[in-house]
Amino acid sequence: MTRYLVHRLLQLVPVLLLISVIIFVMMHVLPGDPAQLILSGAEGGAAGPERLAELRAEMGLDDPLPVQYFRFLSGALVGDFGESIRFRVPVSDLLMDRFASTMTLAVAGLCWSMLIGVPLGMAAAVRQNGWIDAVAMTMSYLGAAMPVYWLGLLFILFFSFDLGWFPPAGGGSIRHLVLPSLTLGLISAGIVARLVRSSMIETLQEDYIRTGRAKGLGEAALLWRHGLKNALIPVVTMLGLQFGGMLAGAVVTETVFSRPGIGRLVVDAILSKDYPLVQGCVLFLAFIYLCVNLFVDVLYAWLDPRIRYEK
Amino acid sequence: MKHVRRASLVSAIALVAAGLAVPAFAADLTIAMPANQEPASLDGHIDPYQSTWLLDSFVADPLVVLHPDGKYGPALATEWSSNEDGTEWTFKLRDDVTFQDGTPFNAAAVKANLERIAAPETASKQLKSDIGPFTSVEAVDDTTVKITYDTPWVTLLDAVRRTPLWSPAAIAEYGADFDKKLVGTGPFTLQEWVPNDHITFAKWADYGGWNSIMENPGPVALDTVTVNFIGEPAVLGSLVEYGDADIGFAIPAQYVEDYKDKDDFQFYSKGQSGTGLQMVMNTRKPPLSDIRVRKALNFAADQEAVNELLYDGAYTPSDGPLNNSHVCFWDGATAMYATDTEKAKALLDEAGWRDEDGDGMREAHGVEGVEDGTPLSIKYNILHHQEIGEALQAQFRPIGINLEVEQVPGPVQLDRVQNRTFDLMYERQRSPDPLILDQVWNSKWDEPGGWAWTGFKDATLDGYLDKLRSLPSVEARCEAAIEAQKIIMENALMLPTLSQPIFVAMRPEVKGFLPGAEGNWFFLQNTTVED
Repeated sequence: MTRYLVHRLLQLVPVLLLISVIIFVMMHVLPGDPAQLILSGAEGGAAGPERLAELRAEMGLDDPLPVQYFRFLSGALVGDFGESIRFRVPVSDLLMDRFASTMTLAVAGLCWSMLIGVPLGMAAAVRQNGWIDAVAMTMSYLGAAMPVYWLGLLFILFFSFDLGWFPPAGGGSIRHLVLPSLTLGLISAGIVARLVRSSMIETLQEDYIRTGRAKGLGEAALLWRHGLKNALIPVVTMLGLQFGGMLAGAVVTETVFSRPGIGRLVVDAILSKDYPLVQGCVLFLAFIYLCVNLFVDVLYAWLDPRIRYEK
Repeated sequence: MKHVRRASLVSAIALVAAGLAVPAFAADLTIAMPANQEPASLDGHIDPYQSTWLLDSFVADPLVVLHPDGKYGPALATEWSSNEDGTEWTFKLRDDVTFQDGTPFNAAAVKANLERIAAPETASKQLKSDIGPFTSVEAVDDTTVKITYDTPWVTLLDAVRRTPLWSPAAIAEYGADFDKKLVGTGPFTLQEWVPNDHITFAKWADYGGWNSIMENPGPVALDTVTVNFIGEPAVLGSLVEYGDADIGFAIPAQYVEDYKDKDDFQFYSKGQSGTGLQMVMNTRKPPLSDIRVRKALNFAADQEAVNELLYDGAYTPSDGPLNNSHVCFWDGATAMYATDTEKAKALLDEAGWRDEDGDGMREAHGVEGVEDGTPLSIKYNILHHQEIGEALQAQFRPIGINLEVEQVPGPVQLDRVQNRTFDLMYERQRSPDPLILDQVWNSKWDEPGGWAWTGFKDATLDGYLDKLRSLPSVEARCEAAIEAQKIIMENALMLPTLSQPIFVAMRPEVKGFLPGAEGNWFFLQNTTVED
């Protein structure tokens, strides 16, 4: 298991390097000079070309791109992503400020997705081709097809404005978390439900289920104790991908629900061409995504010993 | 006895009724604002946004206050004056003011603030240029400050009315974290700032009401003010309607009908003096290097129809380089390019842009610098309000102009300006001072980092614009501004569109809310919320 873990950890290094190169190049290929943006301010005022040249030199923008990249990389290795151009504070401080909120949202979304998706998928598998199956699958398709943005607004309109159950905007409390996480979770629940359904149908046709039934095991015990545990193995694998989807979805959800988080931070950073902040955010999100996937892979290896033996 | 008991009962009922008639006041106010108005830093010495200065005004009173009628009134300065040419300004300060940390407010504190703004290490993005390149700030005595310039600086009052004055001791104590602490002399203290979420201000119990906007001296009635930053316009537009905010500030135009003329709500809209949502023209390259094409665009546009179509007429007209609500607006601009599509067609024909292949779109025929047959396509780049561009696109198409509407982020806008690759570019400046004309139209600012983008150079125009920096009298500066606007419009250097007012919706329980002279400003000193 240790060898497997070390092997997977080493695989992270080239992936992160590649991501850092892509982000760095993209930010520098896109139009817009951050020094000019800083000097232009927002409401007017003009700075001379001398000041522009001075600031470009101060920011190291005159250095060759490889030099700028290695400066960025050497900082990133010790968690120093530089200083945000717009906020004028270390990028790592901004990330740490917003990280908890986005992670809470993503984890809560994942919980909703499992809480809704797993029972829905199971019910559909047990009553295959029946009306429960039809309803469950229609719901799952709807969930998967609905844009996060639209669903979020629908929830605000109904649960916040009409019923007054939850606040329509902001963060900070459990009540503020319910609607945005449910929005994220419902989208993903559709995918989970379909996967659980197909996996469960396959599992229920296995020999050991038939043997269990022949030995007189009750349907509930067969389903929950023997069927579900095995049917969930592919679902666990998918959780990593779903978590990535949650992080991506957080960009939109945080805006719709006016929640603080890394999603809104990265959108603001892109719009204001805050190079250090964009690079820091994307690299950080990629790192989190890879870590979660690593965790899921290890969990999978633990659940299914064949994985690590093959390695 | 019976009568006595009855009388007592009546009295009791009357007392209860009287009690009910006296409104109770809730002490907490919630304001919803668009998320894009949230400052990057709450320190207005650094951050360049109107919303930052507005929020700062809750915590720090300025030297002078701009009253809703557009006149300056005393705040921390009781009187002020300048010499004839505007190179020397003197402010007389109140002698009874302390900062929220207990340190005294005096001339030394004003000097420390102004010098901090000017210091390069502060990296002030706007106030530094607004306050100007003073040569010295002198604390003549405890209550007198003198600011001296080499060149006339006639717009100082407009700068200092936005300048928060912070406690120098607190700045030294908190250093880089000062924007999360903010210590001033204003009615509220900063209680909490959760970025991307909300800011909460709490009443300062020792506030003396050192601001002529206050109706009664002493602390304000509100206990807290919470400003929530809302990312989704649809949510922002509905929060007041559903009781989730007391005030919706700068709500989207499409929600105006939900509040306007409704008994259940208060509503007002107020213009923002400035340039309006103008599109400046790149005169360096065809097709807009030809004045006839530039004029044709102005004649082809029907902004009133755009306003009706998109905003039910809720936006306000902007017919020239300064919008119609600006004190120095030149009203001749309205008639100069009244919509006339026939005139537009004739000008385009004359300029060599004709539709000879019958496809409905014009092509170049003998246009200098353009290959024959090149279709008449004009790039229209905006940061927002894409819908206005699309409405104009529909108006221009029947006369054979293809308007390529593209919404771009700020960095792309500046990049295209710097590379001269635009045709029509959005450029809005907001200020009640005509000096903004100088920034946008004086050819000396046609340089990297500058805001003069058209490439048009005219000594007479530059001469009028230079005067905006040196004439002390508002009337004289307006005269210069009007002459400059005439030249700009005669040369059709821009396509005016509309002006975006600020729409504010409030619950009826909110009393004493005072809009500023400009739509983007308000005062809470006299505000209460009836419970």
